[in-house]
Amino acid sequence: MAAGEKNTCSAAALSFKMGEFLLRNGAEIFRVQETMERVAHAFGVEEYDVYVLSNAIFANAVENGEHTQTKLKFVPGATPHLGRVDAINQLSREIVAGEYTVEEAYARLEEIKCIPYTKTVSMIISCGIGSACFSYLFGGSVFDALAALLCGFILEIFLRILDKRGASKFISNLSASALVALSAVLLYSLGLGQDLDKIIIGSIIRLVPGIALTTSIRDFLSGDYLSGTIRMIDAFLVGGCIAIGVGVVVMLYVLAGGVMIV
Amino acid sequence: MTPALCFEWLIQTAVAFVSTIAFAIIFHTPKKQYAFGGLVGAFGWLIYIIYVHFTGDPVFASFFAALGLTYLGRIFSFLRRAPLPLFVTSGIFPIVPGAGIYYTGFHIFMNDNAAALATGLETIKIAIAIALGIGIVISLPRFFFTFRKASTEQKKG
Repeated sequence: MAAGEKNTCSAAALSFKMGEFLLRNGAEIFRVQETMERVAHAFGVEEYDVYVLSNAIFANAVENGEHTQTKLKFVPGATPHLGRVDAINQLSREIVAGEYTVEEAYARLEEIKCIPYTKTVSMIISCGIGSACFSYLFGGSVFDALAALLCGFILEIFLRILDKRGASKFISNLSASALVALSAVLLYSLGLGQDLDKIIIGSIIRLVPGIALTTSIRDFLSGDYLSGTIRMIDAFLVGGCIAIGVGVVVMLYVLAGGVMIV
Repeated sequence: MTPALCFEWLIQTAVAFVSTIAFAIIFHTPKKQYAFGGLVGAFGWLIYIIYVHFTGDPVFASFFAALGLTYLGRIFSFLRRAPLPLFVTSGIFPIVPGAGIYYTGFHIFMNDNAAALATGLETIKIAIAIALGIGIVISLPRFFFTFRKASTEQKKG
């Protein structure tokens, strides 16, 4: 590690940026904290303390004897991008192995920031295929799966549009699940699919908070109870939103005279 | 254990494999890990259907499926030198209680409170079972997964 770096290229600032980036892309708290500490340690930052919450980082560093940095940063929740988490994980391992100078690590971080999101078209296709497969797994027939495929396409297109507009989480979950139920009801009334339940169940899996559930468990287990609680509440609220969104549409359908056997 | 049943399980596992990969794409997993994520999901679902076939209890089935798939996920995480969420996040989607959420909402709006409470409670039980299953495997020391001495590894799971 070079002694006379510029302020913009300090190791503490690098570790801080990596932590923020990890948190933004949906990593667990212990991974963020551990990565930041490892990087700072590998570059020889003398004192380094960090506290990470699910939406904020507090870090304090003493570098080169006198240089002190204190940072407080609010990190808003964002879409998880597991590929970027993986890339940062790789980078931190290589930094610990001593393969990078601070400048090179900065350059690599900028590259990682440019890892693109999956193309919209392939997301729409995989959402459709995923919905169809789940509809089949939960006991639907091939026709139910076909209906779920179409519902999946509609759902992902709708989610992409909402994502661009920046709608709030609750509104987007409520409206998306209602839309899924609505399109399932329409397809069902048109004669596609034999079991309305299975079509809807297959298609709403995309919205179910699986990521929040797993991440919150890991947070709990590594002792980050506060962040774990925040994410657990998030998971339950999203689950509730889905239940309400779907429930309203199905209720209206039954009230309108549709036949529904559970 | 008739051949027809085994064939059915084979098909189900294959479908679970495809669906898990579809969700891995949605969560932007790197391309080189797709197949491994798919294997994790398929393995979890296989445990789930076998357990449900013999006992009919979805809560314990989810628990054992979560145990199994997280174990496989951790092995892959060490083999492929990648973070665990890459494999487990999309892998648990087949056993996540989507059906429970749906039926709970349905019964609430149908004013069938007893049924809503029953399905809601079962959904929460399944979520806790999955959480426990994942949690137990994550807390295991790493020598359960690497098949070699822990001191040679520098990596976090």
